[in-house]
Amino acid sequence: MFKTAAIVAYAETKIVEKTDLDVWELGAEVLESLLDKSGFEKGEIDGLVLSGSMTGSGNPFWSQTTADQLALQVDFCNIVDLGGCGPTGALVRAAMAIEMGLCTTALCLFADKQASENNQRMRHYQAEWALPYGYLGPPYAFGLLSRRYEHQFGLDYRALGKLAVTQREHALLNELGCEKLRKPITIEDYLNSRMIAEPIRLLDSVMVCDGASGLIVTSRKTAEKRGLNKVVVPIGYGERTTHGAGQNIVDITETGHLAAGQRAFAAAGLKPKDIASFHPYDDFIIAIMMQLEMLGFCKHGQGCAFVNETDFRYTGDLPLNTSGGQISAGQAGLAGGGTNLIEAVRQLMGEGGKRQVKNTRNALVTGIGGIPYGRNWNSSAALILTPNA
Amino acid sequence: MSTAVNDTLDVKRNPIPPRRYSKPFWEATRQKKLVIQYDRKAGRYQFYPRATSVATGRRRDLEWREVSGKGEVFSFTVARRARPPFEGHEPFVLALVTLDEGVNVLANLVHCTLEEVRIGLRVAPFWLPQPDGTHLLMFEPDRSKR
Repeated sequence: MFKTAAIVAYAETKIVEKTDLDVWELGAEVLESLLDKSGFEKGEIDGLVLSGSMTGSGNPFWSQTTADQLALQVDFCNIVDLGGCGPTGALVRAAMAIEMGLCTTALCLFADKQASENNQRMRHYQAEWALPYGYLGPPYAFGLLSRRYEHQFGLDYRALGKLAVTQREHALLNELGCEKLRKPITIEDYLNSRMIAEPIRLLDSVMVCDGASGLIVTSRKTAEKRGLNKVVVPIGYGERTTHGAGQNIVDITETGHLAAGQRAFAAAGLKPKDIASFHPYDDFIIAIMMQLEMLGFCKHGQGCAFVNETDFRYTGDLPLNTSGGQISAGQAGLAGGGTNLIEAVRQLMGEGGKRQVKNTRNALVTGIGGIPYGRNWNSSAALILTPNA
Repeated sequence: MSTAVNDTLDVKRNPIPPRRYSKPFWEATRQKKLVIQYDRKAGRYQFYPRATSVATGRRRDLEWREVSGKGEVFSFTVARRARPPFEGHEPFVLALVTLDEGVNVLANLVHCTLEEVRIGLRVAPFWLPQPDGTHLLMFEPDRSKR
């Protein structure tokens, strides 16, 4: 699937509740850090791929406007508007462009300050078919999803609480996480946190924040030539948007990760049991459990049992979102999909510091993006990375 | 003791902006009639209204058909935190209802208690009058004999 693309540097800002910085200042901060770390000059970057941005990408010229603002002359310029799948999708599209020879070195940039400057302008079903019913957005959709899951399989809320607690423990070790969230929690805290949309609790949910992150992607050859020995390469990817779109009623406990995961694993030549660390997109805790099922770590409907028997700490059997995930580090708007992606790259480069995982053979990163009418989510992505392949 | 859920009937909602292709739905609600799209080639209903057939991608086979609006709860959530203009009206229920014609519809479930709401509950339409003469489709427990 991928033959030459390599990530040579990662960068991220601290995630904050609200930033005074402009979204382009966040982007500039990431760019500067990436140039410093990789040794590339700005003029050597000839590709730019962005995730969406609630602050910026309501501007239909967002990628070219950002290229202009950051003074990047590029031969490939693109935005990936798949919501939370934007960052993983951006990395893959940058890799594709490099593999096809359309550019040689790309900046993947994820910058959003949704909490302090939300300029989104939606044109979708909600105004007509959801908002008149008091629909608040994702928490309600996940309330509907959770109740249905519970009806079909039962739901062990203590198991979900265990995931919340593990991620929070990891956030305590992440100095770039949102400070408001860097307080220990227990399973009881999770169970007792206030209901938003039953059975979705406050501690099931992400908090929208501000922040940015990014990657430099180039070819393995270029990396080698420049003495960049620490690289991370994509070895498998799958993506599915509007799973079951042609059907009126779908089993909403089945998600696009089923197809995306199979494609990614087949390309990588790996099986779920081979995965060394797991960095799933987490907007709600139950999404982590459902992805474990769909990606084949356990059977459909057995997610909670698998959670109960698995140690997800960074020292455990299957390290999970070792920087806290978005739920415990904060969700930097549509840049939020970058948080777990960057952490996977950091871990594979052996730069996890006090939360470094032992097994760095590979990492599985996922994306979730968008909420359609009466379904689970719009886009699902699965990406497998490995160091120095 | 049973707990009544709020019915949100007195919430001042923003006017609903219909798309061009969903106007037949809204027009029919003036007479409290539920019409939904039907693909006569595929023999399938669909909801919410789309610009084309979700089954085949061919819009020429779509027509509107009146249905009873009866069905059963597919899933539901009790909203405990809401934004204006619904803030202060919690708890209220959002339900996905499977109509007998085989489509899922999202709407409020009203005139019921928290204890009564469950997946599989039979429901029937309740029509909330709108200032422009149309009605908003909601559901209430079906208390008629089937």
